[in-house]
Amino acid sequence: MALLEVHNLTKDFDGLRANDDISFTLDQGELVGLIGPNGAGKTTLFNCISGLHPVTSGRIIFDGQEITQLKPYEVARRGLARTFQVYVASGDLTVEENVMVGCFMRTRSRAQAKARAREILTDLRLSDLADYLMSELPVSAQKRVTMATALGSDPKLLLLDEVAAGLNPSEIDEIMTSIKHVHDDLGVTVMLIEHVMELVMKVSHRVVVLDYGKKIAEGEPAKVAKDPLVIKAYLGERYVREHAEELK
Amino acid sequence: METLRNTFDFSDFPRIDLMVAGFVAIFLVVFPLVPHSSFAMATMIQFLMFSLYGMGWNTIGGYGGQVDLGKAQYVGIGAYTTAVMLIRWDVPFWFSMPIGVCLAVGWSFIIGYPLFRLTGHYFAIATIATSLVLKDIFEVWDFVGAARGLEISPIKYSPPDFLRLIFKEDIYYYYIILGFFFLGILYVNWFRKSRLGFQLRSIKDNEEVAQSLGINVHWAKIKTYAIATAFVSLVGSFHACYIKNIEPEDTMSLDLSILIALMAMLGGAGSLWGPIIGAGVLIPLKSYLKEWLGAKAGLVGIDLIFYSLIIMVVSAAEPRGIWGIVEKIRRRKQV
Repeated sequence: MALLEVHNLTKDFDGLRANDDISFTLDQGELVGLIGPNGAGKTTLFNCISGLHPVTSGRIIFDGQEITQLKPYEVARRGLARTFQVYVASGDLTVEENVMVGCFMRTRSRAQAKARAREILTDLRLSDLADYLMSELPVSAQKRVTMATALGSDPKLLLLDEVAAGLNPSEIDEIMTSIKHVHDDLGVTVMLIEHVMELVMKVSHRVVVLDYGKKIAEGEPAKVAKDPLVIKAYLGERYVREHAEELK
Repeated sequence: METLRNTFDFSDFPRIDLMVAGFVAIFLVVFPLVPHSSFAMATMIQFLMFSLYGMGWNTIGGYGGQVDLGKAQYVGIGAYTTAVMLIRWDVPFWFSMPIGVCLAVGWSFIIGYPLFRLTGHYFAIATIATSLVLKDIFEVWDFVGAARGLEISPIKYSPPDFLRLIFKEDIYYYYIILGFFFLGILYVNWFRKSRLGFQLRSIKDNEEVAQSLGINVHWAKIKTYAIATAFVSLVGSFHACYIKNIEPEDTMSLDLSILIALMAMLGGAGSLWGPIIGAGVLIPLKSYLKEWLGAKAGLVGIDLIFYSLIIMVVSAAEPRGIWGIVEKIRRRKQV
């Protein structure tokens, strides 16, 4: 069953077309990667889906209902959670309190929010960090905490925006385990923007590729990696021409 | 039940905090019973009033990070409601105070709705503007005595009048405001752990993230602004009965708005004890410096110099105020 359907989504910023007629669907239980060179419009697409940017045209349907015009907090309440690429924390909240904010979306009770936050932190093996302030943590841990916070709201779909950017290989392994756990064991459908190819190609069932705001490819990671359009987008036209033989 | 438990649950504070708080509480309760000057008494009442102003401001300004420099307009609404109702219709404090709070909160919704479309400095400037506009209106409005203000004449009543809050001795006023002070602490203690409290702190952290966690940022700010307003309006009503002489220049001035905000910021915005510490430092300093220096040899204004100096030093050392310094030292010791 389709959990998220994006139909002909277009987003203009004062004449700059950031997303151009993008359509795709996500099925319940999928784990899909969203890739593309810098400036391809990936984060803009996430912002449109989560209601942060009003779309110029097109429709977004989540869980059978249209969410195109909804405000970000309304989208979130329907079970669509996301993380942010650049997380600026003024650092007033501890890790546990951060996750509790997410949990408070589903309950008024502090005791319940706290219990749920503890559960999630234990689940993602973050409980040792519970009492640290966000600003005291290394980036890798911060990113995992933002994931935990998003999970606090019990989402059906989780959009992850570059959770592995700037991490070292062992940290990438750690976060990959977390993502797999969230998807496999907690049953959350996941879409992730990622530049770290070994991560996205390994975990995704499917990838969607954007370039200059357009969707240029979609399919299984292994196939997409061989697609000349994708290679061109990443490595340039000349590379494709010069290596035409190898690519076939 | 959980609400009640959260209200009285201070267990997340270290024991030393609670011991200090306990001693301060005992001191506040027994203070009127030990020998004191009437000047000391007046200063203590001011301290309790400003602590409450600060606690109110702290909900939106401290936990929510929305620098509100227009709280005086709501002090004025509270004070004027109580004074007008008492003078014109002989309505006692305990009835006029809730009405004042309702009027102030109603006004805060009207003001807050457009104001919270703004952020940062623009929001702060806009709060100043709305407050000054209301003050100007009161200065020409004859019904409320225009610029001359209103005077509650105590001879008409037979003190001690507990209904109208008309007393000869300050000790009565002291215990009444002390009661509100303790209730205020309990309320903020509940607030900081409530869902709304967490939402506000998340908003202060990052509004986009807050929205993505299902928080209606605009509405959460308006609600908290109303809570802050209820606090200051209540104290405004008390102010009318205590001072008995109110005019726009002292109940609704920009000075008052800024003093409220600075006090909370100096003590530590976004912490339970911050506003109390801020008021505890600044109010005695302000009134004693004024008394000792201001009256002598044309040194008028020297209190303000001292006072700004302290604010500069603290804000340069730690923007989260005195309480921020305490917490910083504590965390350093832990690590």
